Parts: sequence; structure tokens; C-alpha cells
Amino acid sequence: MSHEQLPDELRGWLRPLADALIPAEDGMPAAGRLGAADAQLDLVLAARPDLLRPLCRGHALTRGMSPADALAALTELDPVAHGALLEAVAGGYYAHPEVRELIGYTGQRAVPVRVADFPEYLAEGLLERVVARGPVYRPAG
Amino acid sequence: MGSVDGMENTEVLIVGAGASGGVAAGRLAEAGFRVVCLEQGHWPDQSSYPAPRPTYELEARRRWSGSPNVRGLAEDYPVEDSDSDVAALMFAGVGGSMILYAADWPRLLPSDFRTRTLDGVGDDWPLSYAELAPFYERTDRAFGVAGLGGNPALPDGADPPLPPLPIGAGGLKVARAHDRLGWHWWPAPNAVLSAPYRGRHACVQYGACMQGCPEGAKASTDVTHWPEAIAAGATLRTGARVSRILTNRAGLATGAEYVDQDGNWHTIGADVVLLAANAIGTARLLLNSASPRFPGGLGNSSGLVGKRLMVHPFANVLGFFEDRVDSYVGHVGAKIVSYEFYETDTSRGFSRGAKWSLAPTGGPLTSALPTRAGSSTWGPGHHAHVRAHLGRTVSWAIFGEDLPDERNRVELAPGLTDSSGIPAPRIRYRVGENSRALLDFNIARATESLVEAGAYRTDYESLMRYSGWHLLGTARMGTDPTTSVTDPHGRLHDVPNVCVLDGSVFPTSGAVNPTSTIVALALRATEHLIANRRNQRTAA
Repeated sequence: MSHEQLPDELRGWLRPLADALIPAEDGMPAAGRLGAADAQLDLVLAARPDLLRPLCRGHALTRGMSPADALAALTELDPVAHGALLEAVAGGYYAHPEVRELIGYTGQRAVPVRVADFPEYLAEGLLERVVARGPVYRPAG
Repeated sequence: MGSVDGMENTEVLIVGAGASGGVAAGRLAEAGFRVVCLEQGHWPDQSSYPAPRPTYELEARRRWSGSPNVRGLAEDYPVEDSDSDVAALMFAGVGGSMILYAADWPRLLPSDFRTRTLDGVGDDWPLSYAELAPFYERTDRAFGVAGLGGNPALPDGADPPLPPLPIGAGGLKVARAHDRLGWHWWPAPNAVLSAPYRGRHACVQYGACMQGCPEGAKASTDVTHWPEAIAAGATLRTGARVSRILTNRAGLATGAEYVDQDGNWHTIGADVVLLAANAIGTARLLLNSASPRFPGGLGNSSGLVGKRLMVHPFANVLGFFEDRVDSYVGHVGAKIVSYEFYETDTSRGFSRGAKWSLAPTGGPLTSALPTRAGSSTWGPGHHAHVRAHLGRTVSWAIFGEDLPDERNRVELAPGLTDSSGIPAPRIRYRVGENSRALLDFNIARATESLVEAGAYRTDYESLMRYSGWHLLGTARMGTDPTTSVTDPHGRLHDVPNVCVLDGSVFPTSGAVNPTSTIVALALRATEHLIANRRNQRTAA
């Protein structure tokens, strides 16, 4: 089964688990609302198709359970599936542009490095004092 | 390239197109040698690197993992490591493990070459810092190192060719803390361009160096050496996996057997064979080259091939700050370094010491699911947890000196093969008592450092399992054939037309990232080969 053919039942199983793992709180949306079981899951599985198998296994193991019971059961019975669930939910959530905006994440952008002519540490004399303290190596020929 | 009876022949065959293989190929081709390099991986495609993608951190955990066991690509070979405290990390492809390294570019210190004489542990190297220094300077220029001269942790010498990269807000906090503590610190040298250099672009601060640099700003031989080597006439054959070195009745190498990516087997003749496959791959190849003439493996009359594996046991300490330091922006290698606790102080109860590198702590997924020190919180409190980590933490990465121990070793794993059916290695590695005491001491000092810098909370990881980047020591060099595998220039004592160029030759590990030393040694060994070409014994 490819991730494009994921049954609705699996998505329906994942959605409340995602909300339990990453709930709406502190001004942040819940993972389910942002597509943890939908578009973000598709994005995740396109990048990490290896997660599909343990997710399907986790689904088979815990379908019909409450989110709390399902998470506890996965931790105990199938840590690999539990790990895959965490990666899938968090991976999709933190790849979402709305989340990145809300948490102020500015990484992975191409911003040319600017080398200061006179960095603060030089202006403050920090390196002068390192040098003044003398060598920290042992001469050995 | 020549041909005898249909078999391809070359003057120099290099196994592995990574750091040392690239350096050797470039210098040999420049000197007019006919060179063929066989590389089991492929040319990396910079456009495929995950840095710009939103799924970057997810991909880093699988396809772009440093572990061949996690990646599981056809060109990788498995490493059985279930009986090892540390998992081996590497990359198969042109550029080798440089594709995924952090590009931290320190040198060994003078005492690293004399641990037996100075501290009564390990072994002295058959060369000194002063002898290697000119090669360090040349390779610094070739790779394009950014840094600042005058570091009192090293003897005087030529400055790095490029100015240092920014140390960031976190680096400045910790630098000020060390100023108050009176402890050493220095802007870190990195093989990442701080300005355009020799046709390459400067860093654009993706913060994703360890999954391939899409800008080519991070040095790796696929961008720094191979294009010129090929232009000078070297042949680089990818998807070519060497199974064994071939030898004649006189005990000299005649070439190698290899398999291409379509599963076709070939032999190639060579006057000289250079091994540049890392300290696991080279040991594996020597052991796989056993024959009735060399029953314990090629070059193994000392019994030391594969033994004395060193990997630098690695701990890290995380500091949490109230204000943002945004360490995920910029290069991933060290922002600043400290050698305050590098040299032996017998009052500490252990020998040798550690180098600290102040490292970034990743993006949001890594904040939620830390790969170094730290924890996870799910459900209520998750967002507060991520906010506390993301952009508000820095990490002291602690590399401890790893004393050689013959029980730590590479051997062939019974029944395990790569996708071509070639026997695969297993490693056995345990952190020794000295290393444990050394790491515990340095974790405590690094915690003090971060608290002094203003951290309101710290956490630590006493040993990181997925940290085996620094593969060293499995074919150590020396002057005595009974206690070493190669001579001081990497030439096998037993087979004088086979030379080891990679980190296998390290007699001791030092406590710094080894790539700068590996390439300096490779250049030195290559130039020795060139200078002594008329005296070189060959099978021809």
C-alpha cells in the first residue's frame, strides 16, 4: 500500500492521536486541525515512506482504543510504531508554515553569511585576554 | 589507462573517493600519474539535499542519516554494531563522509603525537606536529578553512585562509562566560566558506550541513578536489565496490577485484593500491583480502588489522536560556571551541582530555524529539517544551580522547554481507574507564560553563550512541612491523605497494575532529609516494 492509498480508517485513527500528542494550547493549534492525518501526513510519507509500515501496524494494534489507551499500548507493545507515530505527527506539524510562523522559526533559509570586520568579541577584548593567559598546549617537538 | 590481455591497468588505484582519496587523486593526477579511483557510492546531487525542504529534519533521520544501517541504501554496507557502545557513521559517495560531516576543522595538538612520552599512555606517533604542520597549512588552503589565527591552543603558524564564521548570540554568551571564568575559548575553524573562494559560494546559513550543503560552501572533495583531479586525467568510477586486493606470489599487490552497480565483476591491475575507505572499510577490505599467503588478512602479520578502533566517545551538555540565541541559523560545526581541559592533569584522575565544540541544537522537530541531550513532552505542555528548546539552547559537544585498546575492533561479521554478497564488518567497542572518567569530568565543567553563561537549566547526555563519525586506528602506523600495520607514510609493512591513507593509520586518537589531520596525512603520504616513485616496488 502506498501512502496515496491510505484508508480513511487509518487517517481517522491517527487524527485524535495527533491531537492528544500535540493539543491546542498556548495559542498553538492542535496537530489534527493542521492536517496531521491529511495533507501533512501525505507530505510526511512522501519524505519518509518507511513510516507507513509501523503506522499501519500501530493502527492494527490499537484501533478502537481511546487516544490515551492507544498511546500507552503502543509504548508498551510496539515502541517502533510509537516512534513512527511521534515522527509522523511532529514531522508534519513542524513542517506546516503556520506553525513555523507561530513559533518564530527562521531556519533553513538561504541568508548569505556576513562576516563582521570587527566582531563584538574583538571589540570587548575577549580574545586579547585569552592570548594574554598564554598557551594552553604542551610543546612536544 | 592501459590494458593487458583485456584487463584494465593503471599506475595507481585508489579505493574510496572521500576525503583522503580525493586529496591523493588530485595530487597524483597533477604529478602525471595514471590514476583510477573506485568508489562504491555515487556522485552526490546537490539539488537533492534536503536543507531547503520543510521535511528536512524528518529526512535527516532516515535517507540522510549518518548511519549506513539506518539509510540502508544499496551502496551502503551494513555494520553489525549490536555489541558496541557507539554506532558507526559514514557515507558512501564521492566526497565520502564529508558529505554529511559538520566540517569542524581543528588540528591535533603537539602532545597528541607524544602521549606515551608525555603521559605514559597510548603510543607516540612516528611523526610530530611540526612535521605535519606544513601539510595542514596546504590542506587548509585547498579546502577553504574559515577561522582565526593566533589560537594559544596551537603553535604559531599560517592563519586560515578565510575569516571566521559568526559565532552567534550563543557563542558570544559562552565566550563572555569563559572570559569571566578565565577559561580558554576561540572562534572555531570550520571548512565552510565565510566568503567566496576558488569558484565556490560562501555559506548561506541553512543550518543543515550534516545532510549535504546545497550551496557547496562546506568543503568536501566532490567540490574541492575531484573536479580538478578529473580535469588532470584521473578516472573516477562510481558504483564500483572493491571486494579484495589481489596479490602475487611475491607478496605484492597486483590490483583489485570489484563489482559494478549492475552486478558485473571486474579486475583491475595496478602498480600501487591506495586504501581510502575509512577505518572500518579499509580494515574490512584488508581482512577480506586474506589468502593462503596472508591468512589473517592483508598486511596483518602484526595481528593489528582491525584492532585499536577508536571513535571518540562523545557527550554533550545542553544549556537553556531565557532569550533567543537562534543557534539553528548558520553553520552546524562549532561556533566556538575550548581546549581548557584538553591536556593531561593527573589531579583529575584520568589521562588526556577533551575538546569542546559549541554546537547548535537544531530546528523544531529536533526540539520536539531531541537527538542529543534533552527530553520530549507530549500532550499538555508540549508547546512550552518546544519553545524552551527551539532557538533558546546551545550544546557543548565534548569529544574525549579515546585511548587505543585492542579489544575495540573491526572484524568480519559471520553471515553478514553487503548487497553484492561481500562479507560485511562488525565492530566491538566499549568506552574505557579512562574515557568514562574523562567524560564525566568534562560534563561537569561544561555544565559550569553554561551556567556561567546564564543558562537557567542544563541537561546532558553522558554518551551519544549515534556519534561514531571519527573512525580511527585500525591499521596503525609505526616503525616496528611487529607493533604496527603501516610505516610512517601509511605503506603496509607486509605489502609495500599498498598504502593506507585514511584514519586507520592513527596510532592514537587525540580529542579533535580528525578530518583535517586525515587529509594532511594523506597529502604527506601521497607526496612521499611521488618523491619515491623510482624506488617503489611493484608487481609489474
